[in-house]
Amino acid sequence: MRSHKRSAALALATCSIVGVLLDALASGAASAPAPVGTGKASKTKSVCGLGNGKRATGRPIVLGGIFTKSPGIDFSPIGLMADAYFKCVNANGGINGRPIRYIIETEQDQPDRVAALPVKLADRDKVVAIVGNTSNTDCIVNQRFYERRGFRVIGAGVAAPCFTTPNFAMVNMGPHYSNTGAAQALVRAGAKSIVDYASNVPGANPYYGSGAITVGKRAGLPTSDNYVDVPIQDANSLVLKMVQQAGNGGGIDIALIPPEGLKVLTAAGAAGVIDRVKWSGATPFNSQFIADALGPEWNNKFLVNAEFNLLDSKGPDNQLYLQLQKAYQANCPACLGSFGQMGFLVGKIVTYTLLAMPVNRITQKSVNAAFLRIKNFKSDLWCKPWYYGNLPSHNANRWDRTVTFVNKKIVQVEGCFEIAAVDAPIVRAKADEKRLKLTSGTSWPPVPGQ
Amino acid sequence: MPSLEFSKLFVVTGLALGGVYALSGVGIVVLYRATGVLNLAFGAIGALGAFISWELVNNTGVPDWIAYLACVAVATAVTFTYGVIFGPLLAARDPLVKAIGTLGLALILLGTMSWKWGQIAGLSLPLPTTTRSYTLPNGFGVVNWTQIIGISFGIAVTAGTAVFLRATKLGTAMRALADDREITATLGVPVRRVEAVAWLGSGLMCGISGLLLSNLLGLDIVTLTFFVISALAAALIARLRSLWITLAAAMVIGLVTALLTPFSGDFQTLSDFRTMTPFVLAIVALLWLGRHRTVTVTRTAR
Repeated sequence: MRSHKRSAALALATCSIVGVLLDALASGAASAPAPVGTGKASKTKSVCGLGNGKRATGRPIVLGGIFTKSPGIDFSPIGLMADAYFKCVNANGGINGRPIRYIIETEQDQPDRVAALPVKLADRDKVVAIVGNTSNTDCIVNQRFYERRGFRVIGAGVAAPCFTTPNFAMVNMGPHYSNTGAAQALVRAGAKSIVDYASNVPGANPYYGSGAITVGKRAGLPTSDNYVDVPIQDANSLVLKMVQQAGNGGGIDIALIPPEGLKVLTAAGAAGVIDRVKWSGATPFNSQFIADALGPEWNNKFLVNAEFNLLDSKGPDNQLYLQLQKAYQANCPACLGSFGQMGFLVGKIVTYTLLAMPVNRITQKSVNAAFLRIKNFKSDLWCKPWYYGNLPSHNANRWDRTVTFVNKKIVQVEGCFEIAAVDAPIVRAKADEKRLKLTSGTSWPPVPGQ
Repeated sequence: MPSLEFSKLFVVTGLALGGVYALSGVGIVVLYRATGVLNLAFGAIGALGAFISWELVNNTGVPDWIAYLACVAVATAVTFTYGVIFGPLLAARDPLVKAIGTLGLALILLGTMSWKWGQIAGLSLPLPTTTRSYTLPNGFGVVNWTQIIGISFGIAVTAGTAVFLRATKLGTAMRALADDREITATLGVPVRRVEAVAWLGSGLMCGISGLLLSNLLGLDIVTLTFFVISALAAALIARLRSLWITLAAAMVIGLVTALLTPFSGDFQTLSDFRTMTPFVLAIVALLWLGRHRTVTVTRTAR
């Protein structure tokens, strides 16, 4: 009995020490963010919404968004940055006095849950719009629901229907076109083959890699399209296979999300195979935590297709984005990069659309109708203006840059270039822009200072 | 089919993983033999140690080597604490209940790590040994010091533990416990102390495994937590008895998994499903080993 009491006391003491250790390591409670996004908008300064520094206290405008968050795939940073933007808007007068309440829902690629989420947002939460969505399967599973219920989704697309059906308009170009751009960069860099590796998630095979493969075939190069389960269990073996497939001087295009891709890049460094091939990656690699994680052996070796501007660009939107990330999502390193920029853009588009509407007539019907009017919407984060429009499909973001990492900095290698017209949606987008003048003329909604 | 030249590149990665699986498998076997507990939290505890190490390296001014030691220390402390509290409480229960107890610990740790570090992407804990590498002759590719340590620790720990169990008083006591706990206790062997040492030793191997695997597999909560399955498969093939068979089985599992990687084209499926290797090998081995088992059917006379 005595020895049991002694054991229990010893164990309790040890537990307490471990608990204190964990508590000491736990992130501190969120401190009140410094005021950002306040002031007068101009060509050199972006603000959040009205920018008046007054907290909005009226009846909330409820929005919702759906994000995949599972082992190996986490798109929630996009939602977190959109939320940061909306919080900033709420701290600066809201939507003419009304705050935005943004509901973030996450899923793990289970079709029944993915199907249930927009129903919940629409019927229980009474959202006026579903925005920000970044999900492996939302566009596939819920396309009919959105059409039936009249939701025009603005998000960051992944699967094919996000870019080929009428009810989605994405701020990004998605893995398919981003890989296409990455492959274009490899071809221009003189790669002798194009080997594409993407995550084996629903909807990925063959959509993610097919654009890159088309680019390779048009250039007369040997190609290979591959899909791997995530999380990657044995990056050391996988990278050896990749390099062997590409051959000396070949090109490897990685379409994995950064944490998984980082395992491959780290393994490539450890195996000493970096210089045997040319490396490129899709937009998610345009992220400061990747730059921080890669050592000098990667300087100028990894070409990243960047759908958005450099993180250190001095553009007003980019500066506001950096301030928001620091103020509201400092504990989210993945928010500092392409994902975060996507969330910012969703927040900006939705905010100024709502501001352009009569404040007491913000309903699901009116908001989604308003989305269709968006045209020539500018941001220094994009190469070209963005639009929605009443179109059979939307591919407004089809220009991008190539960046690389040098001494933990992200550096531009190629300026804005047009994604290759590898398939019909891109060809159609070009024609629609010209015909309907979607990227010129008077912008709608108006943005102060522009 | 991949060429022999290509396949040779995967031998080193396979052996390195096999070495760490062996290290873990030995820890699992010794603990099971001494306490009757199949520690399903082995991977999760090692993962916790690795993540605390990462936290110390990246968010405090602690020197890296102290952070690495902290990984081992934390894993040892958590394992020891669990063993000291729950070991006696569950001592009289059957092995399934004891194993489920450790599964509970694994789930708690999994949740805690996900809460603390789950939002942070792209974590890595590069050991200085990973950046120093050598090119092997005869086309076997490149090996780094982390892989060398993985292979050699697996062999050294197996040999050392075998000698310890045979040649020391404590080792003999552990073997006695494994055979019959009650009789061992009546013979005056300090059962609780022997079990505590077993938990301590297992925790030590847990921490070392976690640190090595964070480099060999990546600093990923789920990957590190569930690598225990591969180590468990090796231990099961050895029927939770023989350390040398655990070592051999672990090496085979590591090698086969790695050698299946380069398959492509018509054989791509072999590469896609290579993570099933531990399960398949364990099932085949257990079926083979049980092939001569006699099943006795008795009927009660009415």
